Amino acid sequence: MHIDSYERNWMIFSIVMLILFATAVSVAAFGMGIQVPAPEQRVDPKTVATDPNSPWSNPGLREVEPGKYDAYILARAVPSWEYLPKEMTVPAGSRVSFYVTSADVQHGFKIQDTNANFQVVPGQVSKLTITFDKPGTYNFICTEYCGSGHGVMYGSIIVTP
Amino acid sequence: MAKKDKGDEEFRPTGTIAVLTIFVITLIAIWATIYMILVGRGGTL
Repeated sequence: MHIDSYERNWMIFSIVMLILFATAVSVAAFGMGIQVPAPEQRVDPKTVATDPNSPWSNPGLREVEPGKYDAYILARAVPSWEYLPKEMTVPAGSRVSFYVTSADVQHGFKIQDTNANFQVVPGQVSKLTITFDKPGTYNFICTEYCGSGHGVMYGSIIVTP
Repeated sequence: MAKKDKGDEEFRPTGTIAVLTIFVITLIAIWATIYMILVGRGGTL
């Protein structure tokens, strides 16, 4: 089968580029730990916010050990579009694991200036861990349209020096 | 426009090569920029 030289060269170049891009993404994912979250656990969205045994009935920051925190965040549209809690404060260098779920509809969760960006699905807990090395205020926003209050659904993580 | 008066065997698509070169350079530049931002923001595990 005859293939024109220009076409052959372009195909080879394209395949090489794809391999390089896939390698770069694989290095980031498996060598540097930059991944999207898999479902951490299943919960009942009807009771996740009210069950006393559910961490999301009392959402907030919990210090697991010095410098390590678990942040249980509840996203909701009813009665108002918000994250609970809306604000958290940690010292610089803290490693925070975010456990986020929804009590009603699908939301998103993106922490600006970090690689934390995932879907928040009712009935499912999404988990990501971020280390905050630099002091400052890191806003997090909803990235999945969830109703008329979607645009005002946000929060902040304050990292102190 | 590329000249064809010497026959198809010597036809060189210079215009296409130029456009594709610009495309590839732009693609690599943008991809690499975003990749460096991704890597700079740290891990998530």
